[in-house]
Amino acid sequence: MKNTIKALRAERGWSQAALADHLGVSRQSVNAIETGKYDPSLPLAFAIARLFSKSIEEIFDDETEAKLAAE
Amino acid sequence: MTQLTFRSATKRYWRILTPFMLIFLVIMIGGSGYLATQEVEPVWTRAMIAIGCAIPVAVCMFALIRYVFETDEYYRMVYFKSIAISSGVTVTAIFLFGFLQMFRVIDRVEVFLFGPAFFSAQALAIPLFARRPPK
Repeated sequence: MKNTIKALRAERGWSQAALADHLGVSRQSVNAIETGKYDPSLPLAFAIARLFSKSIEEIFDDETEAKLAAE
Repeated sequence: MTQLTFRSATKRYWRILTPFMLIFLVIMIGGSGYLATQEVEPVWTRAMIAIGCAIPVAVCMFALIRYVFETDEYYRMVYFKSIAISSGVTVTAIFLFGFLQMFRVIDRVEVFLFGPAFFSAQALAIPLFARRPPK
């Protein structure tokens, strides 16, 4: 799933390790989420949204709208 | 089990693994050395050394299982997938070698070898799931 976590992280000048510490997860988890290799669970998605003061939909894009438009 | 932060879960895991692996080494090396010096030793001595070697390994296994439940969700997914693969590979090997043994194609296979086979298969499977490319 596409997301804007990398950009949001860069705005705050955080490394992946720093973001991982804020969320209580591993740096590899942050990397996997940013690169779309792994979709976070709902609690983690809420924690990410709360940390960046945004809604989940503003951060994550499951590309449903694009797929529907293409059909 | 309690959900800890990644760092806390990792520290908790190493606090168990390190001392018990040292205990395992001491018992195995010490026990083997002791048995080598004895001409005749009672079965119970060998049994105690054997069980003494197995107990720290069992403790480390449960520490690993607890770590998998307590670690972050990404690592939990990777570990569970790798355990599924390594279980399938090991069970397949057990059946294959079991049937080969049953039909007298090969001689007796040491049961002990399936433990390292399981962990080797898991070690190979972990990077496979950790580096899966994006969909």
